[in-house]
Amino acid sequence: MTRDALLSVRDLSASVDEKTILHHVDLDVAPGEVHVLMGPNGAGKSTLGHVAMGDPTYTVTGGSIVFDGNDITELSTDKRSRAGLFLSFQAPVEIPGVPLSSFLRSTLDERPDMKMKNKQFRKTIKELACELNMDQAYLDRELGVGFSGGEKKKVEMLQLLLLKPKLAILDETDSGLDVDALSVVSQGMDAYRERCDGTLLIITHNTRILEHLDVDRVHVMVRGHIVAEGDASMISDIDENGFEQFIGADDASEAHE
Amino acid sequence: MDAKTIQHVNAMPAPTWHRLHMNDTDVEIPAGLSVVHEVTTEIPAALAGAPDAFDAALAAEQVEWEKTHPEKTPEQRAEEERLRTEEEKTTYGGTAYSRYQIGADAIEEARSLARAFETGMGADAYAWMREVAGDPIVIAAPAGEPQEVAVRVAAVPDAVNVAAIDVVAAPNAEVTVVLSVDSPREGTGVTGTSLRVFAGTGARVHVVRTQTDDATFIDMDDAGLFTAENAFIDVRQTVLGGAKAYTGLAGDIRGTASRIDIDTRYLGHHEQQRDFNYTLRHHGEKTLCNITANGVLSGTSKKTYRGTIDLVRGCKGAVGQETETVLLADDGVVNQTVPVILCNEDDVVGNHGATIGHVRPEQMFYLASRGLSQEAAENMFVRAIMEQAAIDAPDEPSRDGVMRLGSHLLDNFEGFLDEEEA
Repeated sequence: MTRDALLSVRDLSASVDEKTILHHVDLDVAPGEVHVLMGPNGAGKSTLGHVAMGDPTYTVTGGSIVFDGNDITELSTDKRSRAGLFLSFQAPVEIPGVPLSSFLRSTLDERPDMKMKNKQFRKTIKELACELNMDQAYLDRELGVGFSGGEKKKVEMLQLLLLKPKLAILDETDSGLDVDALSVVSQGMDAYRERCDGTLLIITHNTRILEHLDVDRVHVMVRGHIVAEGDASMISDIDENGFEQFIGADDASEAHE
Repeated sequence: MDAKTIQHVNAMPAPTWHRLHMNDTDVEIPAGLSVVHEVTTEIPAALAGAPDAFDAALAAEQVEWEKTHPEKTPEQRAEEERLRTEEEKTTYGGTAYSRYQIGADAIEEARSLARAFETGMGADAYAWMREVAGDPIVIAAPAGEPQEVAVRVAAVPDAVNVAAIDVVAAPNAEVTVVLSVDSPREGTGVTGTSLRVFAGTGARVHVVRTQTDDATFIDMDDAGLFTAENAFIDVRQTVLGGAKAYTGLAGDIRGTASRIDIDTRYLGHHEQQRDFNYTLRHHGEKTLCNITANGVLSGTSKKTYRGTIDLVRGCKGAVGQETETVLLADDGVVNQTVPVILCNEDDVVGNHGATIGHVRPEQMFYLASRGLSQEAAENMFVRAIMEQAAIDAPDEPSRDGVMRLGSHLLDNFEGFLDEEEA
């Protein structure tokens, strides 16, 4: 583990329905850095994000996840969240019957250091909604119900800015968004970085969302293996040459297992 | 008062398979309760009605109704009989004729609006509630400016406290009836309202009932509605408290193009029981009804919902719709739902839909990823329905009741509305 890593994934393997998805994954993210996890469709990028967050759909079959100095491999998802880990969902769920504002208030109520008086809470979320160019009427609507894809991603960004996690894993937050919504998401990421000195692990296979970010490290995943790592220059390389160059590299990884 | 069991409460008009144990329910009134009348009212003097106003209105409507629905002549009856097929005579007149069908036919044959009128909890519950309530509060709303009245029932420890209310809206009148049932004092007992509403031609009646009893009380909400031509009654019932809450509502949608809308919101948690029975009968042509029920159940609470839309012969062009959405926040809850569409007329529409479900694993993972444990998620569902009830409360006392109950159930609920309004 890198001495000062905020997130340190070591030799992590995970499966679903007895099918191994992640194979001996190593990955370190230092505080304040922006990391990008790239790879072709089906590489296991989202799985890594979900496993880091403790999704019970997956079984960790080996290795460890250390976050902020604590081994969280066995920790429940809600505790990981309260420890400062955040996962922005590729497809946020709908919760009928629960107004967005009630949901947001509950997320804060579970964090003793973030509890707010109601007036302050309403003021805060209205300001955030305004900043993200989000119609405030959505705050009283049922969570996710009838929201467009863009609105759902805005809600994800709103939560990111409200909860101020130590590390945010953004799972294809850019997928399926038009130019305007993409710009709002980028704006959210910038604000998170500026205000919280936030740490980002961005999962994507599209380089467009990275254009305005200073990326510190790029990791490439193919078939559940981390097959390459490097600095931000890898992004333009991938943009130009695609992932073809990495296909087959996972065979070498498997040979070492 | 001795212990009493009121049987066959909230009975479905057309029973279903008895082993489901949901055709009706019994209400157990504990022994040792006294009968009290701690009811406050806010009714303008001009709206005080005569004791027999409801029955008189129904009798007057009977006369009008008969003008447009003359009794069949012997010749017409003979012709109808001649046209009945052999199959109709043997099937419908034989053993397949259910008790419900026989009863429904008898009521139609009697051609009496008074006899057809019913309340949702049934005759026995109605009789008992009217007896313990004493003289009804009678509200007679004249045409003109919209009026608002309020009747508030406060739960009294070791007592039965029930209000009987008759509302008669004159032709083209508009009146809002606010009913709030709350338990400001700790204890056990029974609260209730027994409501009859007559909406005259073109009248509009809005009923908003908010029940916020502590979980040591039993609440009974019995209502019967009647709509004349072009009349509209909407009822919003919010059931938030009470160990056991019984809600029965029956509506006779009699006048042409008249309408009844029901919007029910409820919460059940711990071991609470909720029992609903709605029966809306479309008699008039082009009549409309809409029943919407939304609830959250957690803990080991139990809920039974019966919703019957009866499209009676003669209601051509009628449209009835019922929709129920229930969120089951815990594996221990028991949820029973029977939506029924009875139809004895062509050229009508009857729809029902239900969305009933536990919190799915992907939903729970999403909530957990924002720091909510299973328990916190359940609290959030409770909070959501309480907050919505507070926001939508029709007046200050109703809102105070929601806030009082909410503050007992949830942390950081006090002051929610003060700041909301600030």
